[in-house]
Amino acid sequence: MEYKSILGERGRAVDEQVLYDLRISELLEDILGRERDEFLRSLYLEPLNNEEIAVFRLNVFRDLMRNEVYNAVENFVEKIRESIDYIELEKEAYEQHKLGLHLDAALSYIEAVESFYNDLKVLGIRSQGLLNFLNYLQSIVESRSFRLMKERAYEAKKARDGIKIRVKIIGNRIKVRRYDEGEDLSAIIKNLFSRFKEGEVEEVKHIRVTSEMSHIHAAILEGAFKFYRKEYEILKRFMEDFQKIVDDGVMRFAKEVKFYLTYVRYMKKVMQPEYLFTIPNFTCDGSINVKNFYNLLLLRSGRVVHNDISTDGVKRVFVITGMNSGGKTTFAISFGQLAYLSTLGLPVPATEASLPFFTSIMTAFPAREDPRESMSRLEQDITKALKILKQANSTTLVIANELFSTTTSEEGFQLARLFLSELNRKRAYCLFVTFIPGVASIDFTISLVAMPSPEDPMKPSYKILPGSPPSEYMAVRIAAKHRLLYNHLREMLR
Amino acid sequence: MIHFDLLKIGNSPKITTAEDVRADLELDKIIGIASNKDRLVAETWLEVLLLRDSSEDIMRYRQEAVKDALVNREAVQKMYLLAREAIEKARREVFIPRLDDPTLVVYETSKGIEILVDAVEKLLTILTSAKFSSKAFSELMSSLTENIDSEFISSARNIAKILAYGEGIDFSVNIGNYNCLKNPVLLVPKERNSLISKILSIGKEYTFSIDPRDEAGLQVLADIKRWVLSQIATTMLNAYNRLRNFFEDLAKQLSFYIGVINMNDFFEKIGLPKTYPEVNPRKLSFENLYCLSLAISTLSKPTPNTLDSDVDGSFAILITGANRGGKTTFLKAIGQALLLTRAGLFVPAESFIIPTPGAIYTHFLREEERRMSYGKFEDEIRRFRSIVDSLKRGDYILMDESFSSTNPVEASIVAENIVSALVDSGINVAYITFLHDFIYRFTNRYSKKTVLLVPERLKDGTRTFRLVRGFIQPGYAMELWRKISATLSYSTSPSPTV
Repeated sequence: MEYKSILGERGRAVDEQVLYDLRISELLEDILGRERDEFLRSLYLEPLNNEEIAVFRLNVFRDLMRNEVYNAVENFVEKIRESIDYIELEKEAYEQHKLGLHLDAALSYIEAVESFYNDLKVLGIRSQGLLNFLNYLQSIVESRSFRLMKERAYEAKKARDGIKIRVKIIGNRIKVRRYDEGEDLSAIIKNLFSRFKEGEVEEVKHIRVTSEMSHIHAAILEGAFKFYRKEYEILKRFMEDFQKIVDDGVMRFAKEVKFYLTYVRYMKKVMQPEYLFTIPNFTCDGSINVKNFYNLLLLRSGRVVHNDISTDGVKRVFVITGMNSGGKTTFAISFGQLAYLSTLGLPVPATEASLPFFTSIMTAFPAREDPRESMSRLEQDITKALKILKQANSTTLVIANELFSTTTSEEGFQLARLFLSELNRKRAYCLFVTFIPGVASIDFTISLVAMPSPEDPMKPSYKILPGSPPSEYMAVRIAAKHRLLYNHLREMLR
Repeated sequence: MIHFDLLKIGNSPKITTAEDVRADLELDKIIGIASNKDRLVAETWLEVLLLRDSSEDIMRYRQEAVKDALVNREAVQKMYLLAREAIEKARREVFIPRLDDPTLVVYETSKGIEILVDAVEKLLTILTSAKFSSKAFSELMSSLTENIDSEFISSARNIAKILAYGEGIDFSVNIGNYNCLKNPVLLVPKERNSLISKILSIGKEYTFSIDPRDEAGLQVLADIKRWVLSQIATTMLNAYNRLRNFFEDLAKQLSFYIGVINMNDFFEKIGLPKTYPEVNPRKLSFENLYCLSLAISTLSKPTPNTLDSDVDGSFAILITGANRGGKTTFLKAIGQALLLTRAGLFVPAESFIIPTPGAIYTHFLREEERRMSYGKFEDEIRRFRSIVDSLKRGDYILMDESFSSTNPVEASIVAENIVSALVDSGINVAYITFLHDFIYRFTNRYSKKTVLLVPERLKDGTRTFRLVRGFIQPGYAMELWRKISATLSYSTSPSPTV
């Protein structure tokens, strides 16, 4: 039976600029933690080309988000890794230790495969990915070669467990003999001093500074095997008869499934009652309905605000305006990240997420003014916009942040209208962050506004809600507070 | 198991505001006399004086032991010295800088066990020649004689010898994962190789030696030795710790009684009376109570105070009147005596009877709170709040000018609220205060539970530094006004009351 990848298929490499603008690299640092596996990292940088694979992966997540399933898989991967480590160690070891390492590799592997198979069988898994692997495991467990290996490994372990020797070290001389009897000195001491109440309990640690598998150990084993001939033969024959231990398909699964384990671990770290993850649901009518999404990166430094975004799919361009530092860009980036994660087939940070499967995500963020760059910033903005328009289609998501801001607002408005009309015509999706309020009243757009805090209108609430851009401005409100608006002044000067 | 408990501290924590009580009641002066510069005595006294929990039984138990220690003072001093010297010698000669070198730990603890076992032997001799009668000290004696005999002492010495520096090791071991050695068990060595045992082991023993030039091999061998010894090293270390702990425990418990002996000598030197307090739920009564810290500062007998009052569930002593009249000294004298009482100690008075052995808390005005501001007032309230969290029925709270950081009208309302609530909850209060509204209203409402004290002034105006019962005199100020007006032949319309 052939192993079918738990990943479905691989995707294509993500655009570097998107990676940077949406701060995906930083997000990956959080997700991967200390994991330095390049293969694993590359999987997170490959958006999928089709929806079915994303759904295939999300279904695996549905299973793995149950603790029992997650624990079983993690345990399995851990044991397979152990087994592979033993085999690696064997290469360098003395003959007497090789026998042991090989046996332990087999024992770990047998235990891993069997217990995982038995666990998985009864856990009621539903994803195609895990079901495929379950079938594959069944074919292994039921094979004659596996059963035979198990029988012989147990026999060898039993033989080894029966070995007990007495060793005496005097100066640099070592004497080994079969153990017959002896009095445990430690027990005598414990008993003798137990009449005194327990003092500070300390543990003396032995930190090994030399190998546990040295030539001295090999020599002691040599002595032991002299008195345990039969046991030695059993160990030796096991190694000769079962040279290959870990199945190739199992090895690949252990490597690939880390994609899922890593993310589940990350979700567990993030999740609290108010910060949840959900399996995204891909819509085919073009609608978006995402509830309570939040920014994973900001969560590192404390509490973050939740926001919603929705459309029935007729209007696809969102224009975000409102107070300074009100969370507009964060809102756009958070949604961009969420969309990106969904295209990898990953659960997303929200309580509910229905959205189209985006075949491409593009960004247009302001470039830093660079004197060496021959183009002005406005030129660069327009270039970006046009490049995006060239590629955009009805499954494109564009995240644009303060584009066209280095010109008059009237011109900026005109450019924005052009850009957005084009996107709209192509039925692409866009989140357009701007401080030009007029853009929000273009008829095919959905206007979202960064709201002030209800307690203190001078402070942001970081809530982004549907509505018209504010007619009243903060600076005006401050002037009013100090009675400096027209009517106040009139009244005072009367 | 050896068990003795000369202090009955139990699991009691310190009272929560221990540092305030320590400073407010000048405990360091008292402890200074008890300890006579011995840090262990000072620590133990501080701990025992500031325990949150006590009971009449514990108080009696300690009182009996205190009396016993004074009768057997020589034996107590000898045992204390022995314990301290044994600990000190072990500390000097046993050197365990790290816990990751089992070989070193085994050698060093063998040495330590030898030192401490010698001390155990001497301790027994001192104990058996003294004549203790209290429960506390009798238990120490019987528990030791029951658990320690000459067999224990010789076995312990033998083990120290087996594990001494330079001896070989003999152990059993199994084969585990990757065919590494596992479960080493250090064994009692077999008798020295006799010719016969050598002949018998021919063919049954596989022997090899490591070439002295094989440095790596010798390192491995040393490592194996450390590994085998690591298990017994923990056992040895803990055996040694048990022994050391025994002496530390003993020294600590005895240190309290060393303080008792020192304090007793001080009382005799100054000529302070010595009484063992009693508990009577219906009484608060003392005769010629001295402020101990003041006696220590002046090295003389200060003015004593006497009070006899019935108690109905709880009491409030309100102290008011002119400054420098002995109010704070009185409050400290009571506080110190209460602490000494709970600790089972004698008190500087002819007699001392209290209604409960409750815990003592203090809320004294801080200098920085003397200025009026709501910020300071809030600090004060916050500090009071932290005490309230730990108060229990039967406890005592001593207050010195609490709530003076806001105006007296509102402070009075606060004080009345708080003190009434405390007294109604069975907490005893002694409060130096100048809040007239409060004093007036409170003494009227709680006349049966309240004692009002003022500094005594003789007819000629001399201050005695003694407090006497005072009385509320409503209309006194108006009266005075009128009186003085009259004396001065000055007529006014009635001025507004203050």
